[in-house]
Amino acid sequence: MKQVKILFLIAFSLLGLVLASCVPGGTQPAQGWSGITLNDGILYLGSMEGKIMAVNPSARSQNLSFPADGEWEYPITAPSGGGLSCSQTSTSVAIYGTPAVDGDLVFTGGYNGKVYALNTSARSQNLDFPQMRDNEWFYPKTNEVIGAIVGSPVVSEDAIYVTSSNGKVYSLDKHFGDKKWESDVLAKKLWSTPYIEGNKVYISTFDGHLYALSAEDGSITWSFATESGIGFVSSPAVCEGTIFEGSFDDNLYAVKIGESEPLWNFTSGNCFWAAPVVSNSTVYAGCLDGKLYAIDADNGTELWSFDVGSPIVVSPLLVDDLLVVVSDKGMVYLLKTDAVEDNRLLKELSIGVSVQASPCVLDGMVYVRGQDNCLYALDIERGVVIWKFPLTTH
Amino acid sequence: MAELWNLIILNPMLNGLIALSSVFEGSFGLAIIALTVIVRLILLPLTLKQLKSTKSLQGMQPKIQELQKKYGKNQKKLQQEMMKLYKEAGVNPLGCIWPMLVQFPVWIALYQSIMRALATTPESLLDLFRHLYSWEVVAQALPLDSHFLWLNLGSPDSTLILAIIVGGSMWVQQKMVTAPSADPRQKSMNSMMLLMMPFMFGLFTLMFPSGLSLFWAVSNVIGIGIQYWITGWGYLRRGASTELVTKVGGKGGITKRP
Repeated sequence: MKQVKILFLIAFSLLGLVLASCVPGGTQPAQGWSGITLNDGILYLGSMEGKIMAVNPSARSQNLSFPADGEWEYPITAPSGGGLSCSQTSTSVAIYGTPAVDGDLVFTGGYNGKVYALNTSARSQNLDFPQMRDNEWFYPKTNEVIGAIVGSPVVSEDAIYVTSSNGKVYSLDKHFGDKKWESDVLAKKLWSTPYIEGNKVYISTFDGHLYALSAEDGSITWSFATESGIGFVSSPAVCEGTIFEGSFDDNLYAVKIGESEPLWNFTSGNCFWAAPVVSNSTVYAGCLDGKLYAIDADNGTELWSFDVGSPIVVSPLLVDDLLVVVSDKGMVYLLKTDAVEDNRLLKELSIGVSVQASPCVLDGMVYVRGQDNCLYALDIERGVVIWKFPLTTH
Repeated sequence: MAELWNLIILNPMLNGLIALSSVFEGSFGLAIIALTVIVRLILLPLTLKQLKSTKSLQGMQPKIQELQKKYGKNQKKLQQEMMKLYKEAGVNPLGCIWPMLVQFPVWIALYQSIMRALATTPESLLDLFRHLYSWEVVAQALPLDSHFLWLNLGSPDSTLILAIIVGGSMWVQQKMVTAPSADPRQKSMNSMMLLMMPFMFGLFTLMFPSGLSLFWAVSNVIGIGIQYWITGWGYLRRGASTELVTKVGGKGGITKRP
């Protein structure tokens, strides 16, 4: 009998061990952290329920019922089931990238491995998707998928560029969703957002490569590899022929396009997860060590840093000489870039929830999506939250 | 409490696992196998103590049954006599449970390390950075290659191969230590447990990332090896022989093989 008890003990303990995957310590489910894009006074973003939403800040400030003028929502879903499940249902798709907007079209990539083009007019009328006559489409056009899409889509001229977890870059016709080209497999997976400049597409990879691809046909025109094989974690930022890029070894690298050696590297206390912002020969980079660094773009020396006390997961926003920095703990800071240290912090405000999505600024208001699936409008200069809008089902 | 757990147990194991992956030229599968072997070696003294205690207790079963027959109606006396018996034999009846309980935090940390290191979702990768040391060998290994043999270590094995290996090895390991019982109730309980656990873990293998299943499979195989070292094939062979002889005995009148 004692032996049976012992076996029961083992069984339940191991069961507990397995169930540990459901509590912190196991793999975190894909929920998404879509950033916010602003176009023609409307905010476009993805919710944590897998919906692409158009939110009118004016309507939200008046607390009108959703959807008001210019507002809509569209759920991105994917068939699920299989495995041990008997029935097939639809589940919401995580959205990581910030939507790209071009005219009436809103582009987004889903973690299900599909790219979508939504027409604002068709979505406002809640018509069936896709409305071909309104240039709505999804890619691939069959039931097939490309790898999960984590980086943001980027629009340039007639094309939209996306990276995929299958390691390829895709160029699609923005009006019809036809594939213009797909690159060779550049890495085992690509989660970064491409940077388009001129007729080049710049890509960074987890296995330590930077690529310049021809925007015409996707061919590789230049590549750079780190000697140690250490991978790049952030998306690239390009300015005046130099790529600025965070890596897994806690360094921010500056690489001159066309060169095979880095121009400089700047070491911090953790990774630079978010893409840096470059302006007036200064690189502003938020780091997971909880500091915002201002670095001389020419030689990599630290000009100043600002400690926010918790990891910085999203890129800072630069508006004239003001810098908006958001921390993972939900603190929002307004910094003056050209001030001396004591006067650098102009305002700070807490929304009290984690922020992992890119914010945006309009008319002095900062819009932030928290990991509580709410959209916040902040008057940062007054230090107050103007409104909070839940992105749950309406 | 969680921070202390991360600092003392999880983070060293997680970073060790990732560093091992770098040593094996990016093969996370080999790193899981190596770390499972290392952890089992570190825990070997406890495992041996547990097995020896179990073996001693099993060896005392005839005497315990005698006492149960003799003092079955007087529970107090029975407890006293059993404690006396344990004391004379120098056996602690809880001796096989404590080493096992001590091992659990290590197994949980190993499990968490595998799940965290795989970082299959962007959220998991971001979370991973909270636990990493600033070691170049760790940075070089990231992100980990989740492919090993036919497996994607971050997803369940779509074939039945790993489920069969996990379930089969668990059955063998249990069969080696499960003593056949004359008591029908005990016998049916043993049979149920012998099938339930391998079936349950076989099912888990179809549901959980195969990196975790690989850890179970390797751990089971090592467990079989250690058990074989201590007791040989144990009841895996003896149990089969007993069943065979019992069947023959039913027809030919032979009651038990000597």
